[in-house]
Amino acid sequence: MSADQKYRVLVVDDEAAVLLTYRLILERQGYEVVACGTSRAAIEAMESQQFDVVLCDYSLEEQHTGFEVISAARKINSDIPAALLTGYATKETADEAASQGIGVMFKPIEIEEFLATTSNMLRRENESKQEGSEEDTRGPESNHQS
Amino acid sequence: MATAEIRMQQGRMNGRRTAQPRRPAVLRLFQAERSEEIFPLLLEEIIALGNPRALVVDVNLDSGEITPAAALKWPRAQMEKFTSALWMQDHPLTSALHSLRPEVMEESNLHNHPIYIHPILYSNRNLCWEADRIRTSSCLAVQNSSREKRVRLEDQVCSTCEMRAYAAAVVVELPKNYNEQTIVELGELIDLANRYLSRLFKVEHYYNRMRDMEITIAQMGTVMQSMADPVILTDTQHRVIMQNKAAERFFRVPEEMTEGLVRAVEFNNLLFSAALSSMLVSGSDSHRDLTLVDAIEGEEMLFEAVSAPTFGPEGIQLGTVTVMRDVTDLRRADQELRLNYERLSEAEEVVRQDRDRLNLIIENVGDPIVVCDGKAKIVLVDPLAQELFGMEMDVVRDTIQFQNQTKLTAFIDAFTSSFSDRETAPLRLYNPTLRQEIDYDARSGKIYGERGQVAYTVTVLRDLTALRKVEQLKVERRMLEIEKFAATGRLAATIAHEVNNPMEAIKNAIYLLAGAIPDNAAPVYNILKSETERVARIVRQMLGLYRNTEQVKPVNVNTIIEDTLLLLNRQLQRANVEVQTQLDVLPDAVIAADQIRQVLSNLVINARDAMPNGGKLRIRSRHIPGYDDLHGWVRILIADTGSGIPPEMLRSIFEPFVTTKGERGTGLGLWIVKGIIQNHAGKLSVKSRLGRGTTFKIDLPVVKL
Repeated sequence: MSADQKYRVLVVDDEAAVLLTYRLILERQGYEVVACGTSRAAIEAMESQQFDVVLCDYSLEEQHTGFEVISAARKINSDIPAALLTGYATKETADEAASQGIGVMFKPIEIEEFLATTSNMLRRENESKQEGSEEDTRGPESNHQS
Repeated sequence: MATAEIRMQQGRMNGRRTAQPRRPAVLRLFQAERSEEIFPLLLEEIIALGNPRALVVDVNLDSGEITPAAALKWPRAQMEKFTSALWMQDHPLTSALHSLRPEVMEESNLHNHPIYIHPILYSNRNLCWEADRIRTSSCLAVQNSSREKRVRLEDQVCSTCEMRAYAAAVVVELPKNYNEQTIVELGELIDLANRYLSRLFKVEHYYNRMRDMEITIAQMGTVMQSMADPVILTDTQHRVIMQNKAAERFFRVPEEMTEGLVRAVEFNNLLFSAALSSMLVSGSDSHRDLTLVDAIEGEEMLFEAVSAPTFGPEGIQLGTVTVMRDVTDLRRADQELRLNYERLSEAEEVVRQDRDRLNLIIENVGDPIVVCDGKAKIVLVDPLAQELFGMEMDVVRDTIQFQNQTKLTAFIDAFTSSFSDRETAPLRLYNPTLRQEIDYDARSGKIYGERGQVAYTVTVLRDLTALRKVEQLKVERRMLEIEKFAATGRLAATIAHEVNNPMEAIKNAIYLLAGAIPDNAAPVYNILKSETERVARIVRQMLGLYRNTEQVKPVNVNTIIEDTLLLLNRQLQRANVEVQTQLDVLPDAVIAADQIRQVLSNLVINARDAMPNGGKLRIRSRHIPGYDDLHGWVRILIADTGSGIPPEMLRSIFEPFVTTKGERGTGLGLWIVKGIIQNHAGKLSVKSRLGRGTTFKIDLPVVKL
């Protein structure tokens, strides 16, 4: 990935105030951010745009969960790094997240931790892509169907 | 003694001057030096006066007999008639003595010639010396002189000097031509002789008295000397008048004088005189203990000195007699005895306390207790056991008790003859109070006799059903507590969850505002930031309990302890807290390691905060095996030497929002600790003493895989 190209982050949270502040924080950090308030909006956004990382609240509108959003994202890009943002997680939730390679950040999230986790996920993803195929730097599309 | 012949010659030699016959008689009588010389002299003088014959009868004042004592020219054969007694009233001699008047008898059955009878009695005109000294007029001699007393046995003893008088009668045969003059002369002569006799008699009496006293004194001296105890006679100035040999040993300077001995004797005298003075002050017959040094042996001896005052005839105190008794051995024995007695009563007290304690224990065990002898016979039962088996040493008539006893005896019999020291066995007995059969757990132990034989067996019966009921009650209570705790937790979590999102927004907003705050608003911004962080901390802790995200797996708790300490090491060092660990070998426990780490770190941080001036933190872990091979516990003890928890707070420290740290604490740390331990089916307890420190005990279950 070239240096001038910004990482694209998809942030999903049903609380507007929280969503706004996440967006502003991430933007201040230099990411290109798309913020969605519902799972539906997020899935729609993914259909038209590409993202490098998904940060998603666990409990969304009308019993929808962050897992749905992340599954949708993985259908498009199976390697896309993703993290659940949550105040509360049962053992089952945590187990499922772990089995799918989804990170969990507990609210209230220390902002330093929030930023560090995000950048770590991006760096790891970047490294594994470089190992996998040298020529294809915009990897996510090429692995869609696998 | 001068004979009558010589005296006659002397009379003749003084012939020229002896114109009257009375003067030589007076002088001759005056020459008598002893009382027994008087009667012979008197009789000679009577004959010299021209009387043919004369005799003297003497009254024995002990027996009352009257017998001739001396006679001159009187034929011996005729003298028998002059024997009489004071009670023979019709005898002329007796009546003459009782009348105490001289009389002439022209005719009588005593003699065939006229006779003159003159009774004489001890008498004096002056008081005797004794009566004179004690100023009494009660003198027998004077009383006789004035004829106050009669010639009777009981009358003729002086009430003052206890002197016994004499009584006699002079009998003279009168010449044929006797006249008034003859009688007067005779009477005067006899009275004169009696006066001499009385004086001599008195002197002799006093001499005899003195002799008697000397003998008494000598006897007393012998008695005193022969006493083994020191006896000392002192005057009123406490000067020693007399002392026996036993006393000299202590109070007389020995012949071979050494400085030490002289000093010992001086010291003894000093002590003795001090004791006398104090006894004199405190009363007449008192006694004192006195430690004296034996001047010969040189050893100390303990005496009991008993003193009594001595009085003179006028009732004036002359001094003191002190008798000392050697009580060295006695006191030593007494002391020994008292010491032994004290020891005995102490031992008795200990035994009594032991017995009371034992009785108290037996009474409060709440389980039936049976003591049997070596032959499995019941010798002691507590009231509960009595219900089951009846009274000890009693013939059982109750069928139920008989059946119970049979079962018990079978068990005890087998146990008594077995080789084991203690045994536990189930025993199904009918309980008459509960009216049902009860499963008892019979636990027996042996008490051995001197020769190693089984003397007694003690059996405690535990009612297993009751025990189970208690156990079940405990479980129920615990479940209720857990349920309550869980409900509180859920409520807290709900609140936290609701607060969480707005707070997330606030926190993020504050972060975003960081660069845009004018300088003058910076303090307010900082408050906003720090207080929000505090709320975030509270919410994070509350939610943390329910972020049950971690997988449980077998972990060695010691690693978690070491990890936690490593993590907090710098903080502890800065707080001047010394850490001591004693980590035993542990089996793995199936736990959520992060949660247990949180438990440990919460407790360690609490300990650090309880020791603001530093102190000791001790962490100990060990394995507590269960009753079977499979189950057991891992125990973690975390002890600090800090300020301790006030007793009134101890009950509530595990509830949410209770803190001893004021503003600094969230009041959730221990609540979370408890929640985590309960989620692990563990046990948590705390002991604390104000100013001494606090110890938390955690037991986590382990199962052998």
